[in-house]
Amino acid sequence: MSEDTASERVADDQSGRSLPSIPGRYVAGVVGLLVLAAMPVLADMEIGLGVPGVFVFTVDQLFLLDLTAALYFGMFAMSWDTVSGYTGQISFGHGLFFAVGGYTSALLNLGFGIDPLLSIPVGIVLAAVAGILIGVPALRLRGPYLSLVTLVAPLILLQLFIFRSDVFGGELGLRDPEPFLGFGVSQASTVFYIALALFVLIMALLLLVTRSDAGRVFTAIREDEDAVASVGLNPAKFKIFAFVLSAAVGGLAGAMYVHTPIGGPTPSELFSTTVNVEVIIAAVLGGMGTIVGAAIGGIFVGLVPILLDEVGVVIPVLGVPVGEIDFLLFAVITLFLLFVLPGGILRSVLNAGSRVRGWRRGDEVATDGGRPERVVTRVARRWYDGLREEGGDDDE
Amino acid sequence: MSGLLVPLQADATTVLVQIVTISALYALVALGFTLIFGVGGVLNLAHGANITIGAFAAFVVSSQWGLGGVAGLLAAFVVTGVLSGVYYLGLIKRIQDEPIMVMIITLVTAVAVEEVIRFIYGSQPKVLPLVDGRFIIGGSTVTSATLVAFVLSALLIAALFAFVNYTRQGKALLATSMTRKGAALVGIEADRINLLVWVAAGALAGVAGVFLGATQGASYAMGRGPLVLSFTIVVLGGIGSIRGSVLGAFIVGTLEILTVQYIDSSLTGLTPLLVLVAVLLLRPEGLFGRELVEA
Repeated sequence: MSEDTASERVADDQSGRSLPSIPGRYVAGVVGLLVLAAMPVLADMEIGLGVPGVFVFTVDQLFLLDLTAALYFGMFAMSWDTVSGYTGQISFGHGLFFAVGGYTSALLNLGFGIDPLLSIPVGIVLAAVAGILIGVPALRLRGPYLSLVTLVAPLILLQLFIFRSDVFGGELGLRDPEPFLGFGVSQASTVFYIALALFVLIMALLLLVTRSDAGRVFTAIREDEDAVASVGLNPAKFKIFAFVLSAAVGGLAGAMYVHTPIGGPTPSELFSTTVNVEVIIAAVLGGMGTIVGAAIGGIFVGLVPILLDEVGVVIPVLGVPVGEIDFLLFAVITLFLLFVLPGGILRSVLNAGSRVRGWRRGDEVATDGGRPERVVTRVARRWYDGLREEGGDDDE
Repeated sequence: MSGLLVPLQADATTVLVQIVTISALYALVALGFTLIFGVGGVLNLAHGANITIGAFAAFVVSSQWGLGGVAGLLAAFVVTGVLSGVYYLGLIKRIQDEPIMVMIITLVTAVAVEEVIRFIYGSQPKVLPLVDGRFIIGGSTVTSATLVAFVLSALLIAALFAFVNYTRQGKALLATSMTRKGAALVGIEADRINLLVWVAAGALAGVAGVFLGATQGASYAMGRGPLVLSFTIVVLGGIGSIRGSVLGAFIVGTLEILTVQYIDSSLTGLTPLLVLVAVLLLRPEGLFGRELVEA
């Protein structure tokens, strides 16, 4: 970054998007990671969790592999958040980067026998190049126009893959490439730990970037691009940087994913409409523009369908097993949560946490002397206000 | 996207009929999309779901209840129009000033609708009978469904033109799409106009869904292709421009049919997408569009 004067000015802005600094959230984060890290130990003991007959769930080797896939999806969701949550350039086709990374690595491995250790970096580089290709239109296009380009990009790729099915395997995809470092199904805990290490590494990297001066410029671009330009910063440079970084991380996640025993290079796993939507759901559900929220959302989206399948609960009225309509449930839950917790799960939990602490200390914050509004009341009031606005004046 | 299309070496008349029909259907879909964007500044990614809902409403009424094609068509028109209006009032109206939320919520809604339809009706395409019979026009066979599709969409497009240009409500609509503040200053209620637009857009897309379903089968994901095509059409014609959308629909329809007939049917979806990217990069405001000021 060359514009040092500007960055210093932003540096002492404490509010911004950063959350109130509570040590509690760091504790929670570390505990969360420790729980993840302890999963393989639980697996060795074959522990079943839950109530027999209603909800039984066993940590086993297969679950570890599912968790691995969820971790890679979490990385992918973090990469979406870096560009869309921070710079506000909503990408509807982020699967493109996931796919470029995954397919490049798989094709190099399958076609030329190149070891994943070498083919994965190539996949990352190509994904970064794709990031530049998508980022360049972003210099000229804004808002919905840019989203249209990102929406269309993976569709074009899919068409090309179907057109050249001989190379790309069409809609069925390719067969599985070699596993990373040779760790297969039988070494599930090693596969899992590799994923967890990368997950932590990427999260640290993205947190560093988004908390740096560059990250503040990202946020500023989202809020008002013209204002950023007016203080002498070049928004284009930062947008391209965000896209390339995001694409490279997405490519890494995709490339690693295809080399795990559970993932494979197929369009449905790497860049179907479902994947593109799921990554958005993950990030928005967890909390857009927080990185950690996106990571939590990613693991959530990656795991919940599997848990739903295992649970085997049948929905009362419809008589349908939950597993069959998991994606629909997701969509509905997302719609609901977007309305109830517009900031995402992470922010709401943090806010609730700080409110509880405030309560304990006795410094209640409600300015009118009453108690803070409950979630249900707030939602009800918003709906009521919405209905009442019907006859009101235009607010413009 | 290829049920209407007879693969390769069809004669010129058949190709022309196909072009005209499919373009008219695309115009129906794209008009609603562009109106919603032009008037409300909202990118409705759930627009494709209207197509699917229309087709399945018609399927239920005409096939399952056995009331015939005309009743099905009417049902599609009414059901999608009402649903679209309710969707606007219940959900979109509250968040229409936050473009990102709107895009995400409409996208998720589209997915939810697809999943519901897939869950209830399965993933196998349904046959949607509209009208039987075929004609011979200029030496090539045209099914009655195709003919009805063309005539009705042409009528609906003409009606929309007339409405927008010659009625008070229509003029208010145009004014709102040009400048929301200006329209508000002269006492036009933006919310009422928005509701009108959402209902109209839903109804038009529902009708298009019936025809698309009748010619190529109704399936849960049938809305996706036309939705993406309407992006192309709308961007090509200029977002918010009605005549631009009609012209864009004909350009895209022509390109699609020509690609299928004379190049390779597996490239169907690709040509319009490439056109879209080219237009966005070379002339983002489209043929008849204005610079996007407020989004």
